[in-house]
Amino acid sequence: MRALRCLVRKEFLQLRRDTALLRVVFALPIFQLLVLSYALNNDLRNVRVGVLDEDRTVLSRSVLDAFPAADVFVVGPVARDAVELERLLQTGACDLAVHVPAGFERDVLAGRSPAVGISVDGTNSSLAGRGAGYAGTVVMQEATRYAAAAAGAGKTAPRVGAVVRFLYNPELQSRLFMVPGVIVMLVTIISALATGMAVVREKELGTLDQVLVTPLTPLQYVVGKTLPFGLIALVDLALATAFARLWFHVPMLGSPWVLLLGVLAYLLVTLGLGLLASAASNTQQQAMFTVWFFLVFAIMLSGFFFPVDNMPQWAQWMTRVNPMRYFMDIVRGVLLRGAGLADLRGELLTLLGMGVAAFGGAVLAFRREGTRG
Amino acid sequence: MSGEAAVFARGLTRRFGDFTAVESLDLEVAGGEIFGFLGANGAGKTTAIRMLCGLLPPSGGEARVAGCRVGRDTGALKRRIGYMSQRFSLYEDLTVLENLEFFGGVYGLGRAELAARADELLPRLGLDAERGRLTGSLPLGYKQRLSLGCALAHRPRVLFLDEPTGGVDPVARRGFWDLIYEQAAAGVTVFVTTHYMDEAEYCGRVSIMVQGRIVALDTPAGLKARTGGADMQDVFLRLVDA
Repeated sequence: MRALRCLVRKEFLQLRRDTALLRVVFALPIFQLLVLSYALNNDLRNVRVGVLDEDRTVLSRSVLDAFPAADVFVVGPVARDAVELERLLQTGACDLAVHVPAGFERDVLAGRSPAVGISVDGTNSSLAGRGAGYAGTVVMQEATRYAAAAAGAGKTAPRVGAVVRFLYNPELQSRLFMVPGVIVMLVTIISALATGMAVVREKELGTLDQVLVTPLTPLQYVVGKTLPFGLIALVDLALATAFARLWFHVPMLGSPWVLLLGVLAYLLVTLGLGLLASAASNTQQQAMFTVWFFLVFAIMLSGFFFPVDNMPQWAQWMTRVNPMRYFMDIVRGVLLRGAGLADLRGELLTLLGMGVAAFGGAVLAFRREGTRG
Repeated sequence: MSGEAAVFARGLTRRFGDFTAVESLDLEVAGGEIFGFLGANGAGKTTAIRMLCGLLPPSGGEARVAGCRVGRDTGALKRRIGYMSQRFSLYEDLTVLENLEFFGGVYGLGRAELAARADELLPRLGLDAERGRLTGSLPLGYKQRLSLGCALAHRPRVLFLDEPTGGVDPVARRGFWDLIYEQAAAGVTVFVTTHYMDEAEYCGRVSIMVQGRIVALDTPAGLKARTGGADMQDVFLRLVDA
């Protein structure tokens, strides 16, 4: 126990002297959280809508009024004819053009399915798809509501095209989704990479040999070496979630204790993998490449950018062995959905199993290291 | 325990695949002796030392160090020996005192014990004034003395020094050997490898290893008489080229 304390104390002494690393470890997370969350932000906001109303009825007015009410749109220039509307879009005076044709109200009331023309600047593909989809919904909802009211209570409303409904996160607030992802990445990079590098550095310097002739056991060494980085990762997690809450208003709907349980299990995995990478490497470059190679896979297959449900079946299978995917589910679950221990039991147990395997493997690897040629 | 050799090996062998790095090593070193373990580069010295320190399991034969069986009582063995490797291996970003405290501490020394040991060792190593200095900023000779101090912090019975004086000037080497004599006088067995043949003269007995085998083992005077060499350099060259 005394020996372990001594090792941990030494690690902290070295960390304190490494001001460059400290800066990276504590300042960068906040910086990364800020930059990535804004940069990767693809919320629909301030979409300028140009309008042309050829119907000039109560319905056409209420449809166009629904746009600014939707918060996402800003109704900009009003065109006098179709040519002018197209020119507005072309010159960039608006991002999206809504054309309500003459006879729109009449067709809706008659139960026909009239078409409102929605044109969008296709050079911004994300805006094009989602903006047009959302604008279509606004039109359809307004028309349906109007038609239903006109038909009177008790009667079924005529169908007005297909109504796309956004049930959840209608404004698709990507930041709610991105911020927990960035937090997961931070915890992963700091714990796996820093541990891997720190151990290989001892190999490069030859101090590992010097430590191996001491009575320190492989378990003591591995624990002593990872404990400081585990603590740093925990502090980073706390910092990042606090910052996410205060700055981005990302809620924490679930229990912080469940999150703590999740991160402890996850750290067992990442620290263990960092150690395994360092056991397999002789230089810091090798360790870094090894860790990065797996990290890129882990990030891509974690559901950070691309939802797991959208992946082909084989890729979905691969995500099942990806610890980051489970931790991502835990962080998002606890923060955004208020998931509790019962909801996340599967993820937590899986991570715990992976953690015991990775950490146990690392201890064995260092037992071998101690008796290597 | 009296009468038992501090370092004892019989038929100690280590193979790496088809290559035999150490072949059937036999030796006995008495308590308090300074034993020179010589050989050309690649002769198998470091492999032998790593086995005796419990860093590498032997492929065959047996060995006892400070009363512990090599490969069996590894925990007890590690507590009783000190090891200084040929590569300078201290933490450069720790101070002199912090290095000493760390290496003493992992052997289980308490705070008070460590402080007392530091007060005793640092002046003797000529490092008392450098306590608070970062190890990385010290000249090589100082680093080597500190390495020795770290290997001695837990009062080992047997001290393994693998080329401890590589790369420093003759004055620094002479000073280092004074420290080795002090330890031997205090009863510590010193097992040392070196490439400097003048240093071989300082040893009580020396062995010379060629391609994994010990080809000669005697006092420096005895070896000179046997081979007709004028000095140890001469002895070494005659035995290694033979």
